[in-house]
Amino acid sequence: MFGYVRPRRDLLEQKELESYQAAYCGLCRALGKGYGFAARFLVNYDMTFLYLLRSSVDRPSERACRWCPARVLGKKPCTLDAEGYEAVAACTVILAMEKLRDNVRDEGFFRSLPYRALLLLYRRAGQRAAKRMPELAALTSAQLSALHALETAHSPSIDAAADAFARITEACAGDVKNPVLRRPMEQILYHTGRFLYLADALDDLKRDCDRDAYNPLRFRFSPEQGTLPEADLDYLTQLTDSSVNLAGAALALLPVKAHGGLLENIIYFGFPAVFAAVKAGKFRNRAKMRPIKEKNQ
Amino acid sequence: MKDPYEVLGVSRTASDSEIKNAYRELVKKYHPDNYVNNPLSDLASEKMKEINEAYDAVTKARSGGSAGGWQSGGYQSSGSYQSSGAYQSYGGSGSSAYAQVRAQINANQLDAAESLLNTAPNRDAEWYYLKGTIAYRRGWLDEARQNYQTACAMMPSNYEYQNALRTVQGGYTPYRQSNFQRSDMDTACDICNTLLCLNCLCGGCGR
Repeated sequence: MFGYVRPRRDLLEQKELESYQAAYCGLCRALGKGYGFAARFLVNYDMTFLYLLRSSVDRPSERACRWCPARVLGKKPCTLDAEGYEAVAACTVILAMEKLRDNVRDEGFFRSLPYRALLLLYRRAGQRAAKRMPELAALTSAQLSALHALETAHSPSIDAAADAFARITEACAGDVKNPVLRRPMEQILYHTGRFLYLADALDDLKRDCDRDAYNPLRFRFSPEQGTLPEADLDYLTQLTDSSVNLAGAALALLPVKAHGGLLENIIYFGFPAVFAAVKAGKFRNRAKMRPIKEKNQ
Repeated sequence: MKDPYEVLGVSRTASDSEIKNAYRELVKKYHPDNYVNNPLSDLASEKMKEINEAYDAVTKARSGGSAGGWQSGGYQSSGSYQSSGAYQSYGGSGSSAYAQVRAQINANQLDAAESLLNTAPNRDAEWYYLKGTIAYRRGWLDEARQNYQTACAMMPSNYEYQNALRTVQGGYTPYRQSNFQRSDMDTACDICNTLLCLNCLCGGCGR
């Protein structure tokens, strides 16, 4: 995934930061347990948000220190919630596999070789995850095909392109039985997916203009040398702000028992901060310069 | 029925003013203005109903009328909020087809509403407003905004269209139960209280 869904760490309380770290490490551990060691490398911030959202309506799970491969001999606090992580880990593997397939489809033979190798590496994990959530696997594949068709047609509709992707993220809560919980979760995830797609499109705009590749922003607006005029950037910011508002209004309707502050932070402060960084062209550099371990500083 | 104190998020030993404040905060949070055209407006209305019932139950149980002012006034009339989730035509076109489209939008039958809307013979301000509302409910915010802008340009005095445009422009932030804001407020209140106390003390010393 993209790593655009993250909290504003400077606004988190110490307890919330610890919960976030433990949820991230817990997902890594759950991926390792369910899908083999290699699957641990698929852990990301976006799916940590999915776990926090799905588990927010339950009582907080217990935490314990467990071995962390990144530390070799060290241990890190992990959230222990096998049941809660099961669906999230399956979603993580399914989305990663479809992303790899999409990359294979988009690139030429030689450039796609690393992705083909990874597909082979994660083949069994992918099969197991698809068995756990067959509807999500089928929908993800169909939606990415729909997105591909929009790309081929050079669609200028940012709504249509973002919708094709947002329906995938929305479906990550499709298995929640109670509609009173599922509907707000779906709305939050839909607008999270929409935000992800638009942030990624803006981040890639210059590269796509240089390569003459599809990007809905190229056809909807009039970028000059890969950069959008200020007025268009403001318009796009207002669209993402609207998504933030709709996600926030949905969050208010969830009977949250845990991670409420964290989820509010990610939606109300994380999304706008990430979008501002993308607009300023600083997001990619920031992501490289400040990896996950920044939180311990 | 759920425990009314739990619904209001207060303890059984809370004072009347604490309960009143908690109720006000909840009303702000779930106010229908935060859920205009939102696909989850039905859930927000249910929540408001639950809060009103809980507040009623608590105030009635607490006394035979010490909080009567609240029972009869202000937010109790918020029962009417629940109906505001449904669309009302302010445009005055009176078209039965538009009324049917609005009913289908309220029932979340967006495809049917769009098909019916597309058969309308002419495209006036209300047509663009309804088109925008269907897009907004789907989460297609760019399309929604363009249609709302057209509706507003055709009929600038219409409050309903203006309100919808304001919402999709991202300018209106729904109520946020933010820990950060609350702690800031607490600090600000603490400073004010301290200053007030100091003022009283200075006055007590006779200057």
